[in-house]
Amino acid sequence: MAIELTRRTFLTGAGGAVVLSLGYLGWRAAQPGDASIGAATPGGHGSPIPRVAYESYEDIWRAKWRWDSVAKSTHFVNCWYQRGCNWNVYVKDGIVWREEQSGTYEPISPKIPDYNPRGCQKGACYSERMYDGARMRYPLKRAGERGAGKWQRVSWDEALTDIADKLIDAMISAEGPGSVIWDQGTAQTNGGAGFAMLRTSLVLDTPVLDVNTEIGDHRPGFCVTTGKMVHCSSSDDLFHSDLILIWGGNPFYTQIPQAHFITEARYNGARVITIAPDYSASAVHADQWVPVKVATDAALGLSMAHVMIEEGIYNKRYVQEQTDLPLLTRVDNGRLLRGSDVEQGGADDRFHVFDRATGRRVEISQRTLDLGDLDPALEGEFEIDTWNGKLKVRPVFAQLREHLQQYAPEKAVAICGVDPEVIRQLARDLAKARAATCIAQSNFSKYYHGIEMERAQILCFALAGQMGRKGAGYMAFPYLSVDGTDALANLKGQGNPKLQLAALGLKMAPRFIADKLRGHTKEMTIYDLARDEFRHGAFPPSLLWLYHQGGYKELYGSSEKWDPAMKRPLSSFMDEAIEKGWHFKPATRPRIFMEAGGNVLRRFRGYDVMIEKLLPTLDLMVTIDWRMSNTALYSDYVLPAAAWYEKDDITWATPLSPFSQVVTRAAKPIAEAKPDWEIHCLLLKTIQRRAAERGIGTFKDRHGEERRFDVYDQFTFDGRYHEDNVEELLDLILDVSTNVGDVDWKKLKEKGFQRFTALGDNGFMNIGNATDVSEHDTITAGLWHTEKKMPWPTLTRRLQFCIDHPFYEELGERLPVHKDQPNIGGNYPLYMTGGHTRWSIHASWRDDKYMLRLNRGQPVIYMSVEDALARGIEDGDRVRVFNDINSSEMQVKVAAAHRPGQATCYHAWEPFMYPNRKSYSTLTPNPINPVQLAGGYYHLQPMPAVFSPGSTDRATRVEIEKIG
Amino acid sequence: MNPLDQAARIGREIDGKVVKPRRQLAMVFDLNKCIGCHTCSIACKTQWTREEGMEEMYWAVVNTAPGKGTPKDYETMGGGFEANGLARPSRIPGREEYGDAWQFNQKEVLFDGGGKEAYLQPTNFKGEKPKWGPNWDEDEGGGEYPNSHFFYLPRLCNHCTHPACLEACPRGAIYKREQDGIVLIDDQKCKGYRFCMEACPYKRIYYNHVKLVSQKCIFCFPRIDQGVAPACARQCPGRMRFVGYLDDENGPIHKLVHKWKVALPLHEEFGTDPNVFYVPPLSPPSVTETGKPDPSKPRIPTEYLERLFGPRVRESLAIIDEEKAKKARGEESELMDILIVYRWPEDIFPDFTKDPATL
Repeated sequence: MAIELTRRTFLTGAGGAVVLSLGYLGWRAAQPGDASIGAATPGGHGSPIPRVAYESYEDIWRAKWRWDSVAKSTHFVNCWYQRGCNWNVYVKDGIVWREEQSGTYEPISPKIPDYNPRGCQKGACYSERMYDGARMRYPLKRAGERGAGKWQRVSWDEALTDIADKLIDAMISAEGPGSVIWDQGTAQTNGGAGFAMLRTSLVLDTPVLDVNTEIGDHRPGFCVTTGKMVHCSSSDDLFHSDLILIWGGNPFYTQIPQAHFITEARYNGARVITIAPDYSASAVHADQWVPVKVATDAALGLSMAHVMIEEGIYNKRYVQEQTDLPLLTRVDNGRLLRGSDVEQGGADDRFHVFDRATGRRVEISQRTLDLGDLDPALEGEFEIDTWNGKLKVRPVFAQLREHLQQYAPEKAVAICGVDPEVIRQLARDLAKARAATCIAQSNFSKYYHGIEMERAQILCFALAGQMGRKGAGYMAFPYLSVDGTDALANLKGQGNPKLQLAALGLKMAPRFIADKLRGHTKEMTIYDLARDEFRHGAFPPSLLWLYHQGGYKELYGSSEKWDPAMKRPLSSFMDEAIEKGWHFKPATRPRIFMEAGGNVLRRFRGYDVMIEKLLPTLDLMVTIDWRMSNTALYSDYVLPAAAWYEKDDITWATPLSPFSQVVTRAAKPIAEAKPDWEIHCLLLKTIQRRAAERGIGTFKDRHGEERRFDVYDQFTFDGRYHEDNVEELLDLILDVSTNVGDVDWKKLKEKGFQRFTALGDNGFMNIGNATDVSEHDTITAGLWHTEKKMPWPTLTRRLQFCIDHPFYEELGERLPVHKDQPNIGGNYPLYMTGGHTRWSIHASWRDDKYMLRLNRGQPVIYMSVEDALARGIEDGDRVRVFNDINSSEMQVKVAAAHRPGQATCYHAWEPFMYPNRKSYSTLTPNPINPVQLAGGYYHLQPMPAVFSPGSTDRATRVEIEKIG
Repeated sequence: MNPLDQAARIGREIDGKVVKPRRQLAMVFDLNKCIGCHTCSIACKTQWTREEGMEEMYWAVVNTAPGKGTPKDYETMGGGFEANGLARPSRIPGREEYGDAWQFNQKEVLFDGGGKEAYLQPTNFKGEKPKWGPNWDEDEGGGEYPNSHFFYLPRLCNHCTHPACLEACPRGAIYKREQDGIVLIDDQKCKGYRFCMEACPYKRIYYNHVKLVSQKCIFCFPRIDQGVAPACARQCPGRMRFVGYLDDENGPIHKLVHKWKVALPLHEEFGTDPNVFYVPPLSPPSVTETGKPDPSKPRIPTEYLERLFGPRVRESLAIIDEEKAKKARGEESELMDILIVYRWPEDIFPDFTKDPATL
């Protein structure tokens, strides 16, 4: 402990002074005209004070390029696909002056381009952003109408005391702690110390919204097919590809730091094909651009699948081994033939193939994908004996082949607008590629029928055998993080966390052993545990919460109004799903909404409903943020958080950039801002103090158990990790992590990053990548499945295309299908599409002047030349975008690159940038697709982040008219 | 002309010959790797142009091409030299043509109780709503859907071998460094006459409205002097800005410009002999309404590319195509290996590999 303190004191105290004095000496020793470097100290804390004599004009410029200290950092924000860039932050006079990418990632192999210099224009100006006019400097209390921007500056003590009292009131009320809802925003949570919010909610027993499906990042089609969401290779794995499909993403906007791997793979001989309705920034560097009609990608994919099957160019061994396509289905009802169909009392999760080698039905292993000598039939119809008589069966493949006839290229062109010849060529290219990658992002996730678009894509990649090989794969949800955080976030007790973890490990061991004995993979057990935990209701999926408790039933539940395939209302599906225990119904009326760095009043589709319906019923709304977001603007209190260069933490990461990265306290928090770890400590300290002062000893948790109000003691692990020693906590996180080697906080802080060494043994997200991580090679997702023959975590233990769930059957989606995009929003001629923007990460830079000055300085909608002309609209006009739901005013950009019939609003404009505070997001009813309520079917069960209904705002119908 | 010392002669045409520096630094921008992210613009902004009077300056900027550029329609403004060596008439672009640095009513909306009617809006220096900006026509492009086309064209001062700005300055405030050919405006000598802005055919010089002097890209010479690559180049995540000496036969610049002849100057006809070169953009072929490609019809009209990069652009694109095909066949290609940049920074700016944090 003493040694730790000495180290910190040196770094934060003496270090700066030493540098300054050396710099000063260097300057004094200057020789006229000599511009060579003066002082430098080891370890990157030097200041390149040029020996400036001011004799020439050039010296004036030299003197501008100077600083006092350098710290490693990055941006503690959810850049997701493109997150994880190591920056040097240059500090001058106690203020961050500028940042520049470190460019110090080591090459893994001479034949693979390295990761330098990861970064983007947004990160490159955070030094400006963190001090601009949106920055939170003091705790503020609302002093006027919500949203009016009228504030009273209050002290931390005043704010925390009032908030603590109201939290205590709610917790001891009849509604209990379940009435306090947290939103885990991406700017202040996750990562290392960012788990503070999760730990706060754990000790208070207050629910935290599970935001992933509501955001629409849950990759539902990938999930129903593979049983998981997380699955992604490293960006440099693209260099092994000879075919790259950019299909369902716009990486040249949203993967800026690693886009070079695409252009460099292209120079390395890979063919790049971009499939998108508009000639996007990601089409510019393609070898072929395939214009597809909006929301018809499922038809295109299924047509490609049809071609691969009919031409016999699919990868037969991959299909037999890795997919459910050889599994037998009943001819009478189309369902998978289960053990219970074959033998009386047989298992419902045992499946069969028809072995061509022996000419017999064989139950297929659930423990391995290794087929041994089996040669499962893909075609044909067979008669088998069962306990219940003879039964006609055929493989899923045969059923699929018949089903896909409707998507023959000559028919599909009428749906997706892509030439039959092009469809055939795409299918052949994919089938014959040495290694093909699909750069898909979470775009299709956000379509009403996006589930089918993703299923169709994966079907193509599975038929072509393009998954789980170097340079081959489908990019699903990228996640790979320091796993110590996951472990610590779940510790309920207040004792020594390391002892607790050890005890937890011992407690879990029998479960893993028992599961292994019954043939479950570790991955499956981890998901099972996550599902069990999820049932306790600590993480209500936000769409379900909004539907049941937030006033959104009418809007989000309006599905049958738009979806012609529904024979009963959404509420009927919802009731059934709840009645059967597939989903739970958040039942407690919310009294307090705590926003920790997220931005629900920008993010919730139709956020205006929350303002109208929910906010007036709340006792309190608090936002913790470093900037005044739209959510902050409507809150009762706003607590100023430290900016990303003002705190120490470890960020969460992805395999795309497979490095654990730090943010560090390059400069002190401005004014009264505090790191969020400290804010949570102080909040809990205040709750504990106020409860004691008010003579309140206990509260009843959501399960009726009495809990003591010594919440600060619990939170801090009995005083071990508190507001003043966050660096010790970060050391602990690294200590208990199993996937970043033996790095400690001091080493990590100095280097800024550390490459992952494994997926790790803790946490439930990393394991989905199902691969080993080696020091000198790219990371390729799924090798455990293809090389180790590890079963997929689905009902059939295979990539599963036949989902014989009653909801899927009722909605005609047992096999992947194309369904027309419903007229969501009304019968209007234009599809309003979206996508993440080049110019911001969510709303974090949306009102940043440096970024705004490089576009139009205001929200815009892109439209085609043809559509603009037909409406007498010119580039730069103010327009009204409207439909049955609402209307929103913005400026128009008329682009030759845009597809007629499509109008695009890129992501995350803040509502306070629009007249009447009505953003494009008010236009979407965001109807829940009932198919996403399916549950009770091994892998179709909710767990954190997946298998609950998602948002559906893409391709909402609108019309656009000129204003004035 | 007054007698000039040797240093002041560099870059001037004297006795029918342009006096050259000892060495010339140059950049090559690979347009097949530019993703239009503007990290260069911002890197430059935070490095040099944050001071009062410099708000609207983007010494480095990225244009969507085809497009009007920065400043608006600069290509039609004249400047530079005629083929016979005489100055081409031009004019000084206005502040609105460059695109102003708008101000925003952030305080009113967020903190000062502007009320729910208040919303964030940009205002230009005249207090009006902006009608143009430095990147106003981003991603709009040309052609007719589905044969729309565009690409990104990063631009900065070309540090020309025969800078029109230098010749035009009546104060002798502009000079070209002997050791590396970097063109600088000494703003202690500059009186803000702006003849340089008129003379520069690329219109890459800005006017500082506070200091009343002309300012432009300085090729990050304080960094260069320390062995550090310019901010725009070192911070480019697309890894498309090569930096080096034109005469270094082992360096990527010489190889791309002189050996492989794939990097071409922008608007060579402007007559200033620029030292920024571009690897021209490939593009996916034209398609029918249903997306059927026609490889014989390039998406970006070749005439357009010729207008920008001259007649050699066809040849350059053919070489890139051919070398790319070699790689696809599994053969070696020195050109592709150079453009790939396996090792950063050694392969992209070999003489300027220092990390500034270690200085």
